[in-house]
Amino acid sequence: MSESGPSSHSHLAPGTPLCAGCGGLQALQQLYRVLGDKTVVVNAAGCMTLLSIYPFTPFAGSWLYTAMACAAAGAQGVRDALDIQLAKGRISSAEDLATVVLTGDGSAYGMGLSATSAALDRGLDFLYLCYDNEGYGNTGHQYSSATPRAAHTATSRVSGYAGSKKDLFAIWAAHRPSYVATAIAAEPQDLARKVKKAAALRGPRLLLVLAPCPTGWGFDPALTVKVGQLAVETGIWPLKEYVDGRAVHTKIPRQRTPLAEYLRLQGRFAHLFSPQPDEQRLAELQQAVEDYWQQVTE
Amino acid sequence: MYRIRLHGRGGQGIKTASRILGTALFRSGFEVQDAPRYGAERRGAPIFAYVRADDKVICERGLIHQPNLVVVADETLFDLPAANVLEGLDGRAVLLINSERSAQDWCRQLQLPGQVTVLDGAAVVREAGRVPAGALCVGAAARLLGVVSRRALLQAVAEELAGHDAAAIQTSQQAVSQAYELFAGEAGLVQRLQSGAKKSVTTPPKWVELDCEALPRAAPTITMAATSALVKTGLWRTRRPRIDRALCSRCGLCRTLCPEGGIDLDGEGYPVIDYRYCKGCLLCAAQCPRRAIAVADERTVSPPQPKEGEP
Repeated sequence: MSESGPSSHSHLAPGTPLCAGCGGLQALQQLYRVLGDKTVVVNAAGCMTLLSIYPFTPFAGSWLYTAMACAAAGAQGVRDALDIQLAKGRISSAEDLATVVLTGDGSAYGMGLSATSAALDRGLDFLYLCYDNEGYGNTGHQYSSATPRAAHTATSRVSGYAGSKKDLFAIWAAHRPSYVATAIAAEPQDLARKVKKAAALRGPRLLLVLAPCPTGWGFDPALTVKVGQLAVETGIWPLKEYVDGRAVHTKIPRQRTPLAEYLRLQGRFAHLFSPQPDEQRLAELQQAVEDYWQQVTE
Repeated sequence: MYRIRLHGRGGQGIKTASRILGTALFRSGFEVQDAPRYGAERRGAPIFAYVRADDKVICERGLIHQPNLVVVADETLFDLPAANVLEGLDGRAVLLINSERSAQDWCRQLQLPGQVTVLDGAAVVREAGRVPAGALCVGAAARLLGVVSRRALLQAVAEELAGHDAAAIQTSQQAVSQAYELFAGEAGLVQRLQSGAKKSVTTPPKWVELDCEALPRAAPTITMAATSALVKTGLWRTRRPRIDRALCSRCGLCRTLCPEGGIDLDGEGYPVIDYRYCKGCLLCAAQCPRRAIAVADERTVSPPQPKEGEP
C-alpha cells in the first residue's frame, strides 16, 4: 500500500474521519475484506455516516445513506431494484450485489427496530451489520437502549445508566431469520468465520458486533483490542450464533475473568471504583453475568 | 468588545474552555456569547470556539474573523491550513500559544504584527496534575483580559464542571489558578476594542453569480471508488508506531487489527505501516505478540514525505 496507494477493491480505503482506535471501523474493515465491493451498503445515520462525506468515500462498492429509522426499508428498495434488474435481464447474476445494512446501536436497537422487524417479516434477503458502541457515539455519547447498566453517558451522568442493555440477539432470533450472530473485532477469526457463514446464506441475517469506543467509553485508543478481549473473557459479551432455529455459543469462557477488570479500564465506569469501590453495584453487575451463563447449557 | 477565538483539537476541552471563559466574564458583569464549532467532531480533529463579551447587548453573531485574542491550545495546529489559526490577527491582537517554546521563538517563526505570549502548559500539568489543555489556556486568557477576578474564574470552573467528581474539579481549579498566576505580569494585555468602532467586523463574502447548470454538472456523481485515500489522516498522529523487522514474526496480526486499513504486507510478508494514514491509535503496538512495535514521539521523527503523484 505504501508503494502504490490503496487499490484493492476488497479493502476499505484509509483516510476516514472516524476516531483513532475505533472498534466499529475495525469490525467493518474485517467484514469488507470478506464481502468486498460487490455490495450496496445501506447506512443509517450514525458515526459511520461520516465514512462517506462528499466527495470522499472509503468504499470501493456502492453506498446509500438513509435516515436513522429507515435503513432496513432502504435495503428493501435496493434489493427490489436489483431483483427487477435481474428479472428483466438487465444485469447478470454475476453482477448482482449483496445488500448490507450498516447501522449503530441507536438505530439497530431503537429507532430503526420497527422497520427492521418489518423487513424480517418480509424475509428480506439482506445482511445487517450493527456496530454496537452502546450509546449515541456520534453526538457525544448519550445513552441508547444498548447502553449497559451503570455506564456513565452524556445523559446518565450521576450514577450511570439505570436501565439494562436490550437483548437484540433474542429479538432478532424471535423473528426466526436465517442467521444471527454476535461478534467482536478483537476476535478476528470468529468474526471472519461468521461473516463467511452469513454471506453464504439468503434471507435476513444479523451480525451484531460490539464496538469498543475509546471516545465514548473513556479509554486509551491503544486498548481497543484489550477491552474487546476482556468483554469476551469476562462473559459480558457472549459470542454466539443462531442458525436453523437454534442458538449456539461459539466461545464459552469457562474460567471467566472478573467483570471488574473489564469495567476498570473504562472511564464510563470510573464512578464504580472511585472514590472507593461500590462493592454492592459491582457485585450486582457480576451477578447478572453469572445469571446469564447459568442458563447456558451446552 | 472582546472577541476571543479558541483553537484546539477534539478532546482538549476547548468547548468547555469557552464555556468557562464565557461564564467567568458573565460573572464579572459582561454580556456574553460563547459558541463552539466542531467541524469533524472527532477526537484529534481541529475544533474552534468563540467568546464575545461586552458591557452592552451584543448584536454581532457568527464566527469571529477579527479577534482581539486568539488562544491556541495545540501548537501543531499552525501546520494545518484548515485550522486557520492566524486568521484576522492584526497589530492589536494578542496570540496566546500553549507551547514549551519561547514567545521570541514563535515571533521569529510567525512574523506577526501583534503580540505573542506563551503558556507552558506542560509545566503547569507537571505541577498541578493532568488537566485538559483548554482549561489551562482559560486561566491564562482570563488574566490577559484583565477584567476577570480569580474568584469569578474559579466559580466558573466549578459551575461548568458540575457533574464531575470533586477531585477533578479541584485539580482543574488548581491548574487554572496557576495559569492565571503565571500571567500576572501580562494582566490586561488584551485591548478592548470599542464595539461599533468598526462598522462591520465580518468581511462579506465575495459573491459570485452562477448561472444554473445542467444537473450532472451542478451535482456531479462521484463514480470513483475509495476516494478517502486522498485524505491524509496521518496528520492526527502525535505518536507513531514503528515496526522492528528484526523482532517481527510476520504473523500479520497488526494488519488484521488496524482499524484504518493502514498496514499492508510487503513482498516478504513483513507489515508496513502507511504513515500517511496512521492516526496513531497504537493498538498495533499494544497487541503485537512479539513486542516488535515500538512507539516514538512524532516530534522526534521527521515528517513523512509523500511521494509526488500519489493519491
